[in-house]
Amino acid sequence: MRSASFALFLILLPATQAHAYVDPGSGSVIVTTILGLLAAIGYTFRKYFYRMRRMLGVGSTPDPMDKEI
Amino acid sequence: MNQMVEANLGSFRDPANRVYHHQDPATGGKRVLRGIDQITLNNFNALAEEDFFQKLLENGRIVRTTLLDADDPVASEILRDGWSGVMEHETVPFVSYPYEWTFSMLKDAALLQLSILEAALENGWTLKDATPFNIQFIGCRAVFIDLPSFEPWTEGEPWVGYRQFCSMFLIPLMLRSHLGLDHTTILRSNIDGLAPTEAIKYFTGLKRLKKGVLSHVALPASVEKSIASKERDDAPAKLRKHRKQSVAMVVGLVQSLINLVKRLKSDISHTDWSQYDQTHTYKEDDFDAKKSFVEKYAGTADRKVIWDIGCNTGTFSKVCSPHCDTVLSVDGDHDAVDKLYLREKESDRSNLLPMVMDLSNISPGQGWAGRERAAFDDRGSPDLVLCLALIHHIRLSANIPNSFFLRWLRSLNSDVILEFVTRQDEMVVKLLTNKKEQYLDYDLPQFIEECGLFFDIEDRISLKNGRRELFFLTPKA
Repeated sequence: MRSASFALFLILLPATQAHAYVDPGSGSVIVTTILGLLAAIGYTFRKYFYRMRRMLGVGSTPDPMDKEI
Repeated sequence: MNQMVEANLGSFRDPANRVYHHQDPATGGKRVLRGIDQITLNNFNALAEEDFFQKLLENGRIVRTTLLDADDPVASEILRDGWSGVMEHETVPFVSYPYEWTFSMLKDAALLQLSILEAALENGWTLKDATPFNIQFIGCRAVFIDLPSFEPWTEGEPWVGYRQFCSMFLIPLMLRSHLGLDHTTILRSNIDGLAPTEAIKYFTGLKRLKKGVLSHVALPASVEKSIASKERDDAPAKLRKHRKQSVAMVVGLVQSLINLVKRLKSDISHTDWSQYDQTHTYKEDDFDAKKSFVEKYAGTADRKVIWDIGCNTGTFSKVCSPHCDTVLSVDGDHDAVDKLYLREKESDRSNLLPMVMDLSNISPGQGWAGRERAAFDDRGSPDLVLCLALIHHIRLSANIPNSFFLRWLRSLNSDVILEFVTRQDEMVVKLLTNKKEQYLDYDLPQFIEECGLFFDIEDRISLKNGRRELFFLTPKA
């Protein structure tokens, strides 16, 4: 419910231009903290999921370098 | 500085290094070198010991690089500029820019950037920036070229390149995938990419619910807007404390972006040129004669680079491919070029470099002082240019006089295979059907006369019962 309200807030928010003396990139710390916290849940789940699979002998952890590009 | 070593005009944003070019006076061969500071030198030496880095090199994901000895004459020339070391990189046959890449090329470049970062983070390293200008294509293979980007990851450090990644990779990809907008013109106009505060204006109403928009456009835009409103005018800028981020947060964010980018799609529609193989107006005999003519003159000399301008889906680029090191396959039809790229990237050995560009408005020099990013025709010289059934579009669609086009072709100082499409050809008839007649100069005799000012006509054949004329031209001395 809270995330739906947040989404609605973002949809309705009007867009304006950032100002010249303020470094817009400095806000990235806030953004990556919010998104990073959510992403960490998925990362941790995947990590233990692959570890469990490996322990059960049904697969291995995918290597990022083996991904198809 | 020795005249043979030149600093790259577009390499200055990272003070830790600078790219230089050296042309061997004996062979004419070009070398790409990079002066680096002490920290970058230490990083590179440590990085070379890492298995993940060696694997990236072996897989061709990172440009092959060596450190030169200080007593190398070229290195010592560069070291005089105050650098602590000099790298030498494998040469890229032709430099292309993100605003010349198709959707699939930009997407593959984004995935390369993210997968290298993911591997780096998992091994205690990070990349300090995330710009597509750090990636080049060798044929259809994306290669990461900016080794000084690697630096050790400090525990708790956020991903500093996140915003740049969004502005320069993710947002252009989303604009095409979600809204069907042309990402190349957006990237050409915005050399540092599109900021979230600008991008959000395209995503109005329910469009903000499309994949990734809330997280990577709306949220950053609202945070930036909030900061700007609190700190504008004479309000002091607030020092934002470094918030510690765990490796799970940083790698998790990178992995979520990999999943997002992979899910972005841009369907290839039936445009004027994307189905060229099936829709061209030639009978088989004429088409074979055209192929033979191109093959004959592509193979007459030792050609390194061939430009196929107006390549459609690359039929004639493929004909030239065995006769040179690299073919630049250039066309203004995004979907035709994307189709060509997706087909060619399946082959590891493809030497075709696909590029999207309106040939009546080629990429100009731009960025700082108009020289940071070189104009398309300043980035290298072709040995042969193919312009097959292109000139009627230049003259009749873009209103550029034949003599202007021929003069530009002559400036490239290369052989040319040119196909002239006469007024009797059904494609010219179609082009002129609803146009006011103002192209009385567009006929074969006048073209031949104008052509003679710039080129010698070495050979010619008629196709389609004289409705098309194919010329092999050499530049007039």
